[in-house]
Amino acid sequence: MRNGKGLKTASIVAAAAGILAAAVPARAEEHYKVFLDMSYSGNSWQASAANGIKALASTPPYDKLVEFKTVISGTDVQHQISDLQSMIAAGANAIILYPLSPTALNRVIKQACAKKVLVFAYDSTVTEPCAYNVSNITARYGANTAQWMANQMGGKGEMVINHGVAGTTVTKVYDEQALGVFKRYPGIKIVGDFYGNWNDGTSQEEVAKILAAHPNIDGIWNVDGSYGALQAVMNGRPNRLVTIAGQSNNGYRLMIADPALQAKGLKGVSSSAGPAVGPYAFKVMMEVLTGKSKLDKHNIEYPLPWVEPQDVKVCSGETFAAGCNTFPAAKVAPLFLDTALNGDLVPELSIGAVQSGDATPGASIKPLPPVAYADDLPGVNCISCTAPADWLEPNHVKPIPVPN
Amino acid sequence: MTTETEQAVQTAATRPHPAPKLRARLLHPDLVPAALVLVATVTLIVGLKLTIPGFGSLPQLTAILVTAIFLVVASFGQGLVILTGGIDLSIGTVIGIGGMIVANLTRGSDDMLLYALPMALLCCAGIGLVNGLGVAIARLPPFIMTLSSSIAFFGVALGMTAGSSQQSVAPALQRFVAGSWLGIPLPIVFIVLFALAAVLVQNRSPAGRQIYAIGSSPRAAAILGLPVAGLTVAVYTVSGLCSGIAGVLLAGYSSSATLDMGNALLMPTIAAVVIGGARVTGGAGLYVGTLAGALFLSTLSTAITALSLSQGLRSVIQGAVIILALLLQSRQGDRLTS
Amino acid sequence: MRDGAGSVRALGASAALPAFALLVLMFAIYASRDASALTVFGFGNLINNAIVLAVAASGLTLVVLSGEFDLSGSGVVAIANVVVATTSTGRLGSLGSFAVVLVIGLAVGAINGCLVTVFGLQSLAVTIGSLIVCQGIALMILGAPGGDVADAIASGVTGDVGGIPIAAIIVLGVAAAWLVLKNTREGIGLYAVGDDEIAARLSGLDVRRTRFLAFTAAGLLYAVAGYLFSAEIGSGDPRISDSFLLYIFASVAIGGTSLTGGRGGVLGSLIGAGILTVMQKMLFALGVAEFYTNIFNGIIMVVAIFFGQIGPLLFRLGRPRAA
Repeated sequence: MRNGKGLKTASIVAAAAGILAAAVPARAEEHYKVFLDMSYSGNSWQASAANGIKALASTPPYDKLVEFKTVISGTDVQHQISDLQSMIAAGANAIILYPLSPTALNRVIKQACAKKVLVFAYDSTVTEPCAYNVSNITARYGANTAQWMANQMGGKGEMVINHGVAGTTVTKVYDEQALGVFKRYPGIKIVGDFYGNWNDGTSQEEVAKILAAHPNIDGIWNVDGSYGALQAVMNGRPNRLVTIAGQSNNGYRLMIADPALQAKGLKGVSSSAGPAVGPYAFKVMMEVLTGKSKLDKHNIEYPLPWVEPQDVKVCSGETFAAGCNTFPAAKVAPLFLDTALNGDLVPELSIGAVQSGDATPGASIKPLPPVAYADDLPGVNCISCTAPADWLEPNHVKPIPVPN
Repeated sequence: MTTETEQAVQTAATRPHPAPKLRARLLHPDLVPAALVLVATVTLIVGLKLTIPGFGSLPQLTAILVTAIFLVVASFGQGLVILTGGIDLSIGTVIGIGGMIVANLTRGSDDMLLYALPMALLCCAGIGLVNGLGVAIARLPPFIMTLSSSIAFFGVALGMTAGSSQQSVAPALQRFVAGSWLGIPLPIVFIVLFALAAVLVQNRSPAGRQIYAIGSSPRAAAILGLPVAGLTVAVYTVSGLCSGIAGVLLAGYSSSATLDMGNALLMPTIAAVVIGGARVTGGAGLYVGTLAGALFLSTLSTAITALSLSQGLRSVIQGAVIILALLLQSRQGDRLTS
Repeated sequence: MRDGAGSVRALGASAALPAFALLVLMFAIYASRDASALTVFGFGNLINNAIVLAVAASGLTLVVLSGEFDLSGSGVVAIANVVVATTSTGRLGSLGSFAVVLVIGLAVGAINGCLVTVFGLQSLAVTIGSLIVCQGIALMILGAPGGDVADAIASGVTGDVGGIPIAAIIVLGVAAAWLVLKNTREGIGLYAVGDDEIAARLSGLDVRRTRFLAFTAAGLLYAVAGYLFSAEIGSGDPRISDSFLLYIFASVAIGGTSLTGGRGGVLGSLIGAGILTVMQKMLFALGVAEFYTNIFNGIIMVVAIFFGQIGPLLFRLGRPRAA
């Protein structure tokens, strides 16, 4: 009986192998084999970034040039390592990925480079020098937003800190910058801090609880989850709002630009990492891959999105045309990330493109302006390197003097 | 045949907690942990009130209660499943799916709510049903069945939605979660009503008693002629339904939904059930205990946040307090039952 | 008693066979689509990916066989990883950090075992607590990804001896150790305790001691897994093993070990870890992408469990009712 089963198994294996071998498609030579490795999915940010990349990959002329495939590696780094190895084995020409860790993938990335595979990391970075990083982690979000808030608050008031995800490089870097700025103003008192996990629901819960204990808070500094944080204030203290810094959710941008809310004390800035960094990285990668451009350095800075209330410009169409940067409330959900689009760097994208991953009808790939190189940050985008002396200082916002 | 029954009954009788009937005249042994956990919760609040100014004010306690609603609802389902000796690892995913469906169907208006709500809850109950069928009919281990279905349905939902709702949730739902009635926040009213219904189902209905019997000894329950398979399927379906309700509420609370929004709730549902005095081997535990466990965990996380420590230290304290709560409970339980 | 233990062990062995057949089938499909599967490079990568899961699952198997749960595995892996990343290039060196990591694993396992056996706490709940504590400690040791793993560790573990990957030798070592352990007093006791605690106690077995040892050995193996993991990723990351936990359990269950205790074995878990690792390679090779991967993952896990249950089922059918 056992023998019979063994034979049967063997024949199934043989049959399956035969069918599969026959099904291998012939690959046209002028095509580039490009893989997108998403580390994680299930939230708007990751979905928008990946959809933006997919949409660009099917926008002419890339649609003819690229044999594109998306793989979701989940949240398990071993899974990601294994998938990257599979991509190398499958003859990838280029891999664009959201890395789960700045250091854990270095060995497999080295394997990729050894096989002449172009590796681009977006938003999160890797320290392996042969890979390219496209990110705004070096753009001093923490220092700039904290300084902006300190300025708006006149250097005093009760502050709540929404850290993001513990144990990540981004959280460490931004926290260090923001706390450093706030510390310079003795009038700013941090009355509560929590790890909102870049999640609006969690941030809303935590702010609701802190607000109940500290009814006089004046400011909330966020990396992400700012829409949830603001919702909590609007529910708990609707007539006295706060100074706030955070993400670029459409609902959040509409609120900070709303004169009625401003009259109740709302002062907000919309910044943080935008999902458009993914599609932008893809475009840069394609230019390198096709030999259109050569990069001198491997760390590229995606410009820090920065929208203050007076900068909010509502769009009439589906794209960021003519400098607009926000959509009417009826058009997208409040958590829609406006920074999924970028009118200057990835004008090919539209609402539909970043929601579905399909190319914007009629769009074709526009040339890129020259890239900006990023600062070195040891442990973030390089290993043996030195950070600029002022990497904790704001470079976009001018500090106000400390009030007496 | 008869020896098997005897054996099964004997096994059930020698479990650490005696069968409920035996203890009824003293104090229901399963009520002891619930009471203890409530005491621990109050101690926690009072202790922190003394050390941290501003902590534990009435508005903050209200806020803690309101945000506990998701855990309170989802852990009822987990509790029922654990009562049968199973476990439901799909809760996080189902919460996300429930929220996504309601957001994507209502598209920011109330018009479709009457259709979207039952739709979302049906789908979630449907996932529970699949779990139940896998466990009861295909005899798959609950751990793997619910884990697999969670991974698979996450994939399905991901494919259909790209991971986040493109629409906001019906305003009526948002108003419900933020609203109040006679000065009492509606979520608290909901918690009270839900808890009453849960207690009725679990401890006052014939089906509830049969679930306890199944958990104590599935074999004995089958020999007694109880519909073991049917009830097991029902329990997993209810768990899916509860996760769906939690997902809808969570979507209403945060006015939008993402597929991963329930993940953080999975472990706490298990912890709430067990801290509340349930045995993971099944057959013992009251919803009152689970409710107390959920409130305890919510208070604990708020308290730890209020301490303003590094996240590492927060986790260490949180884990240690959970173990302490279990220790306290088992000591007291031993003393009262021995 | 002896007979009972013997038959449940036979059950465990037969449960692993169908799982092994599935593993072979999946590997065959993968290898037929991807020629690199059979190269030293491809196979080495595969087994390096599988080994962490395999060793951690072996540890969990001991606890599960004894009828308990242990969720602390990924927590110990996290601590081990950050400790190796912060100490192995320093004065401790690669061997010193290995010793430290082993002591930590033993300590966590012993604390878990103590809480469960001495204080009578429910293992599922207690180990949620210790998991959270371990994750916290890992964050306190290393606040963000970083650190450095000594080259000796990285190249040592991921390298090969005469074309045979070190990882393969480790797997064989674990399997051999298990085959020895299984037939010792402790091994037999493990099955007896998990199969029927009361009967085991009545027959004079020290149930508490058996379970305590199972938890402690598990802690040790998680620590080894964490060390191997560090070698693979060459750095420290306090959060990176968070998603690892469910895969450890899935490996054990797919390998045919009953999560209620008393049935199964480490060999099955090694195969289970192999199935989970090859599954991903196979799906990739088949061109399954995007969210479909998740769907197939879920379905294959259910199928794998079916395979795992064929063995015991056949065994049960062939077994006279009176036994």
